[in-house]
Amino acid sequence: MKFVVPKAALLMGAAVLFSPITHAASCCGGGSASTLVLPKFSSAMVDVSFDIEQYDGFWNNSGHHNSDPPGSDLSQYRLNVGYAHRLASRWQASVIMPYVWNDNQYSGLSTSSDGLGDTKLNLWYEAFDGVTCVWKVRKPADLKPAAYFGTTLTVPTGVSPYDEVDNNFDITGLGFYRLDGTMFLEKTIYPWNASLLLSYGKYLERAVNREFGKYVVPYDKNLGDRRLMTVSAGYTVFLDSMNTVTYTLALSDLNEDEATINGRIDETSGLKKRSAALTAAYSTMDRDWAFKATWSHALDRDGWGENFPTTDVLTLGVSHVLR
Amino acid sequence: MSYAKNWLYTLGLIAMLGLGGCQDMTDDLSPDGGDQRPAVSAGSSGSAVSQLAPSFTAIDSLGTTHTLANELATADGVVLYFTMWCPTCDSHMSHIRSALMGDFPNVTFLIVDYVTGSVAASRASQLANGFATFTVLTDVDLSLFNAFDGSMGTTVVIDSSGIVQLNEDYKDGTKVRATLEALP
Repeated sequence: MKFVVPKAALLMGAAVLFSPITHAASCCGGGSASTLVLPKFSSAMVDVSFDIEQYDGFWNNSGHHNSDPPGSDLSQYRLNVGYAHRLASRWQASVIMPYVWNDNQYSGLSTSSDGLGDTKLNLWYEAFDGVTCVWKVRKPADLKPAAYFGTTLTVPTGVSPYDEVDNNFDITGLGFYRLDGTMFLEKTIYPWNASLLLSYGKYLERAVNREFGKYVVPYDKNLGDRRLMTVSAGYTVFLDSMNTVTYTLALSDLNEDEATINGRIDETSGLKKRSAALTAAYSTMDRDWAFKATWSHALDRDGWGENFPTTDVLTLGVSHVLR
Repeated sequence: MSYAKNWLYTLGLIAMLGLGGCQDMTDDLSPDGGDQRPAVSAGSSGSAVSQLAPSFTAIDSLGTTHTLANELATADGVVLYFTMWCPTCDSHMSHIRSALMGDFPNVTFLIVDYVTGSVAASRASQLANGFATFTVLTDVDLSLFNAFDGSMGTTVVIDSSGIVQLNEDYKDGTKVRATLEALP
């Protein structure tokens, strides 16, 4: 029998959102496990990243932080493969598919499993025509940020609690479609950059007739609306070769409302999580290649989350832009 | 650049993704909401609703031995809740404590810990998570987990005659309450 920690799967589709877009998007493009942003005047981009997520307890429904059971060592690994494609001068689309491994040790149980995670399909509109990164502000127009408006469809290609699984340890996805609307503003005045990402997501209600492989009396379930805000600030260092290293600090706040069961609010559900992420991204002079490392950290203190695992995530990734 | 060609390319990619998922990976892309519970003979031995619950002997986190027969002898029913000390489990157990236990004093609520592997570790988790007043059965050999087809959040209600009245995930507590109110 294979085993996977269910709370790891609960995090799928959430943790990935905390990875910031790694550097000046309109100039160089950016990538995270949930979103790819293609630079202006380029035709496509491939992004591959690997997440190493380590669990460190959880926040309960009251926001109190609890430790995992003694002897626990809970980890999840994700390989995210993404491809972004320019559809028109202001339009781009991308797809990101994760593959998930779970590896968990309890004092009384050792578990591991793997499988495809939930897929994300993104469509972005760029509300600008030229590169907005500037070296110096000479006129008010130089302050105009790069504005992106996008939508993301999460497709439940992972194995969820409602699939044909033996038990809760086999799951790698949430099991719900979700549609997110996102606004992303980014401004670079070299060597500094800043960004704001606001996202609102709605799940699509679904019928459930099976829980962890066990058929039950059918019912309708929907997860609560999801809100995400991420702010970031960064600094770019130009090397002698004109290659660059950009350091970015991002803060994220995620909230999800309570779920409904046959239209009734489920008081035991809903979540909240705050986290910080530090990214270093190395880009070649022509910005065709970028190598990234992100460390996302959630404070294991009371009040920094609710009903959610506390984790650290190390993400290593590489992006290649096709002109 | 041909924009029409690019749109077609993207749509093709999406279609391939969808078809690939439909074929062998998941039922979530197009959920089936029909009632597919297998038929079972009422009164036969098993963990499904209407079956006679498997008997068990288990040790709690204080070292006390519990048997299903003994519990049923002194209660209107027994509720088993399977925990792995996760956020969802914590939320469910808090809800059981605040919304159910007080209203059903003649029902025995037993938490089944199937991950910690020892009585001492189970007790430590119980105390660390603030559930000192619960009776926590330490399912070291996963015998309860297997016997009741358990999983995270599985909730089993057994009436005083040993018949399983409910065996499914805990959700908002509505169904557990209705089941307990209907106990014979």
